[in-house]
Amino acid sequence: MAVSETGRKPRPTPMAGTGYRRALMLVIDAGSTLLENGGEVFRVQQTMQIMADSLGITDFNVYVLANGIFVSSHGRTEIRHVPATAIHLGRVEAVNELSRELAAGRLDLAGAEARLAEIRAVPSRRAAALAAASAAGSACFAYLFGGFLAEAVVALAAGAAESLLVQLCRKKRISRIFSDILSAAAGTTVALFCRAVLLPELDADTAIIGALMVLTPGVSLTMGVRDIINADYLSGAIRLLDAILVAGCLACGVGLAYTAAFALREVL
Amino acid sequence: MEYLFQFVVAAVSTLCFGITFQVPRRHLLACGIGGGIAWLCYVLCLALGLSPAMATFAAALPLTLACRLFAIRFRAPVTLFLLCGIFPLVPGAGIYYTAYYFLQGAGQQMADKGFETAKIAIALALGIALVSSLPLPRHRRARPAGPRNAGENP
Repeated sequence: MAVSETGRKPRPTPMAGTGYRRALMLVIDAGSTLLENGGEVFRVQQTMQIMADSLGITDFNVYVLANGIFVSSHGRTEIRHVPATAIHLGRVEAVNELSRELAAGRLDLAGAEARLAEIRAVPSRRAAALAAASAAGSACFAYLFGGFLAEAVVALAAGAAESLLVQLCRKKRISRIFSDILSAAAGTTVALFCRAVLLPELDADTAIIGALMVLTPGVSLTMGVRDIINADYLSGAIRLLDAILVAGCLACGVGLAYTAAFALREVL
Repeated sequence: MEYLFQFVVAAVSTLCFGITFQVPRRHLLACGIGGGIAWLCYVLCLALGLSPAMATFAAALPLTLACRLFAIRFRAPVTLFLLCGIFPLVPGAGIYYTAYYFLQGAGQQMADKGFETAKIAIALALGIALVSSLPLPRHRRARPAGPRNAGENP
């Protein structure tokens, strides 16, 4: 075991056998947990390196991409495909804390394994809570973009509908592109329906924009920029491409709903 | 007073986004404040007559700085605050109007809006990049073990 009982800074010692294998797996699992929950490439790489150093894994080489991890050490090579799932920043923070405690010598291998299992089991907030949050966020944005009470209320409804749809699509493993188009179309439809049926003087533009903010690719944009700053150009480019794609999907969704509404008006 | 209210609303909306990104409860307030700062700067810059792209750039600077300070203060990854705080500046309206004019067949207006949206996104990216690469004193983060944990290892 690399961690001594007394010292805060144990000297890394090369290990062999199952301990070495377990340590390597722990580092890789921690890395994929970070990556799939919204950590930047450089943070994943750095955290894995720090953990490997403090666990005494020598000859540790790691290369991280936006959706994959490649590790090799003493002739053993591990590759993980880490597809993007839902963002959970709480887990990112927890793994960060784990690596810090490991580096400070306050955790041993078994303790770190237990902690990582705990982190991976941290539950997400309930669907209703997420929908409520995105609804409230949408309403606030509708106000910020110049709306009044009516616009905020409509954005509230549209934002909740979008959030529920996105979560449903995620559960059914429907592709992101389709779910973005669908959600944007649903949000727009809610607002246009409210204007057509309930509130003729509603400023539908403001309400739709407020609701659309939930779906905008702010995450991909920010992460892409951060990756590029850290010279991870490939991952950054992947994420910026994702941002452009999502923006296009939102535009498609809005367009779809408007086209349907125009067609419906012609018919009626 | 009006600006104070705008700040609060922007902070609440950012906080809501923080909830959807599963930010731990103890960091939600900081997230909200970041978003509030960003929006307040944006609105003030618009009132001063800056273009939306310039205003976004100008707002991204204090936002990123605040997020980095929060990260040092709370010993948490900067992403936690930045991902949420950025949302008031993301050009959602631009995406919407681009699609809208496209459907209207208004080519010129669509091109204008699309170009402006891209400009805002680039300004935002530049703003984040500029402050992120700024060196900050790191001694607080580099301290190996905080005094709050001093008693753990006898």
